[in-house]
Amino acid sequence: MKKYWIVFKKSLKSELTYRSAVLWGLLSAVLGFLIQVFLWQTLLETGVRDDTSFPDMLLYVLINSFMLQLTRTNVAGMIENAMIDGTISMELLRPISYKGYMLAQTLGKNIYGSLTATAPVLLLSLFFLSDALLPDAIHIVLFILSAFLGICLMFEVTYLAGLLAFWLQRCWFIRFYLYGLRNIFGGTMVPIWFYPELLKTLSYCLPFRYMTFEPINLFLMKTSVEQAWVSLLAASLWLIGLCLVDRLVWQAATKKLTVNGG
Amino acid sequence: MKDFWRLFTSFFRVALRREMAYRGTFFAGIVGQWLSYGATFFGIYIMVSSFHILGGWNGSEVLMLYGLSVMSYAIGASFFYNFSSGLAGRIRSGEFDASLTKPIHPFLHEVFSAGYNIGYISHFTVSLVIMAISLASISFQPTVQSIFFLFSAVLGAALIQGAALIASSTMSFFSVGSNPIADFLLWDVKEFTNYPITVFPKGIQFVLTFILPFAFMNFYPASALLGKAIPKGYPGILPYLSPVVGALAFALSILLWNWGLKHYKSTGS
Repeated sequence: MKKYWIVFKKSLKSELTYRSAVLWGLLSAVLGFLIQVFLWQTLLETGVRDDTSFPDMLLYVLINSFMLQLTRTNVAGMIENAMIDGTISMELLRPISYKGYMLAQTLGKNIYGSLTATAPVLLLSLFFLSDALLPDAIHIVLFILSAFLGICLMFEVTYLAGLLAFWLQRCWFIRFYLYGLRNIFGGTMVPIWFYPELLKTLSYCLPFRYMTFEPINLFLMKTSVEQAWVSLLAASLWLIGLCLVDRLVWQAATKKLTVNGG
Repeated sequence: MKDFWRLFTSFFRVALRREMAYRGTFFAGIVGQWLSYGATFFGIYIMVSSFHILGGWNGSEVLMLYGLSVMSYAIGASFFYNFSSGLAGRIRSGEFDASLTKPIHPFLHEVFSAGYNIGYISHFTVSLVIMAISLASISFQPTVQSIFFLFSAVLGAALIQGAALIASSTMSFFSVGSNPIADFLLWDVKEFTNYPITVFPKGIQFVLTFILPFAFMNFYPASALLGKAIPKGYPGILPYLSPVVGALAFALSILLWNWGLKHYKSTGS
């Protein structure tokens, strides 16, 4: 565990050297948030939907952007580069699991940026939120559990797709597929409760909705405590299943590996 | 002019061959872009159509905004993206200095040698399909005038997009690190134009019209085409000015680039 903690700290430290990038990341987060505020204000003023309130949407945007930023990574790109310049052979020699190494690096890289970008947005949104909306203790615990599973699941899917880099010589396009699928079936742009029935049903068959959408539903108390086990179980099963698959893929990948120079 | 054309076509052929060397990757990339841009179109449509209307625009009409934005970006970026994103790296490595010794203007040499990016065909096709569907679904009746208007608006918008890329690359003359200011102006500010600017506060409408004229890229031409209101008190001619604003922004961005070039000190290598 200590090894991964070191990777995490190193990755965090190298990110801290770019102070100005943090400032722009913060500005960009505030701007993005304001766009959503104006947009949903106008939309909700129409009064067409009574199942969604303005604070609901604010929390939806807030939780979504924090979780997405925390897990933002490009595993495929990292493997691709490491294969091209040969550093992959060094990385594989290390007495550390490659997946754990990638995870520690991702979290270290993102934790500072996601916290600094979320803090001002959170402060801003306090103007719009009243304390009466906060979920009760059980929902908070369930939310934390579900968000933890969601973050693991998001990383797992990105990692598994990233392993394809071992077979494809160039793979910059993988993240476009992931982005598109997550956007449509994960409800990261528009809540799935607005979707047509067919897509709603389809989204249950894929892992994406358990990443951020189900945790948000728990935080907004749209999912009752009695029903919470369904999404928690589904997220866990997906996570276990994909972990088993990535083991097999990893074994095949290291056999197949070609290193170009080094 | 003949030389210009010959140079352009030979550089174009090189770029095409470079892309086609990895044919599988090229097509996988195109499908991936369809999916990821398609997802954003889908999101915008679901969002607006769940409420029937956003600031006087229905779901299909709002799609025209993002459609115009993506299409003009496809055209502008296919010429200037490689150039804009690669300039800092070429300055850092010292390769840029070679452009200063060529018998054509360094700007042209940089743009040509960076290469035409054929990959933007994916952005172009997805935006074309979405706009066609959107216009059909509001039973838009095309006339010769409206087609010509749309064509000239896309051209003007492409010039604005190109100008933004050129202007942002100018930063590389002063700092060769990553370029967060340019990213901010280029991506985050542009996101406002995915929706009718009339839903945003007055200050933002003003900035997008008179300071960073991204609204001319899609909002103004679309409002003329679909007969939508522009911000109160703004001159009624604005919706027809996209080609002019585009040409102006493009010329200004080249002036800015040349000004940056004058202040350029080689990094040495």
